[in-house]
Amino acid sequence: MTIHNLYIFSRTGVLLHYAEWNRQNKSGITNEEESKLMYGMLFSIKSFVNKISPLDPKEGFLYYKTSKYTLHYLETPTGLKFVLNTDNQSQNVRELLQQLYSQVYLEYVVKNPICPMNEPIQSELFKLKVDELMKKSPIFLNRSL
Amino acid sequence: MKQQSNETKFFFGSFGEADECLFDYLHAEVVNYVIGQNSIVKDGDEDISKLEWMGFAVGYRVIERLTREWVRFKDELDMIKFICTDFWSSLYQKQIDNLKTNHHGTYVLQDNAFRLLSNISGNEQYLKESPRLLAFTCGLLRGSLANLGIVSVVKAEISCLPSCKFHVEVQRV
Repeated sequence: MTIHNLYIFSRTGVLLHYAEWNRQNKSGITNEEESKLMYGMLFSIKSFVNKISPLDPKEGFLYYKTSKYTLHYLETPTGLKFVLNTDNQSQNVRELLQQLYSQVYLEYVVKNPICPMNEPIQSELFKLKVDELMKKSPIFLNRSL
Repeated sequence: MKQQSNETKFFFGSFGEADECLFDYLHAEVVNYVIGQNSIVKDGDEDISKLEWMGFAVGYRVIERLTREWVRFKDELDMIKFICTDFWSSLYQKQIDNLKTNHHGTYVLQDNAFRLLSNISGNEQYLKESPRLLAFTCGLLRGSLANLGIVSVVKAEISCLPSCKFHVEVQRV
């Protein structure tokens, strides 16, 4: 089990934070372009899922899976988006994302008056805590594939 | 329904947090408002005396309520001890970690994880911005001591976030 990388987007699509741990394949484009591409795709998937759903979509888009990796998606009622790529075996990633939101984002960004909201996060402590949470999680198993 | 209550718990950590974070957010906004007000920055120092006076007024009132069931204090040290334990824990949910005094009117109150700084940084980042987060608390200390009959000067010192020291110097007349 491994965690590949993490994106946090604001409601308006600004990339607030990006971190990677185990990513072998680089996209070959700049981070900025990649985040725009990512956000665009998520936006499309979200509206696609909501439109095509034969029943009330409730939470809507949760994750997608390819043969190699799974992309987990958590959107809060305020529109904050947490995107985590893991391998296909990982369990309880949704729980991890919720922890990331309530124990790290809320504590170290929302409660930090010097940290402006809806702008890329500069706080070193936040980055440290994200890293800590991910490495503490049982999903994170740093082994070379 | 059960699912939902679980989820709420997840998002907000623990119950009863709302009243704590209200103060945090209000304090943060007051700080940002005061900082935003004074555009003139002299010698790289921000003018935070307004914040300090706000803290003074709050401290002056707060101590009135906190001490209503207390017997009279023996001496100055007794009052400072009250500040370190009951006063601090009713405001910041923890006690002062270390109290030092030279027995000649100088007290050093050290908090190793000060509430208003604990979410900011764990190293030198934001060191420059942090005095503005302490000004209110300095005033709070000064105001509460003033209402107990101690005229003092309170200064804050930060060497490594989130720990800080408050220097209380009693002014003898």
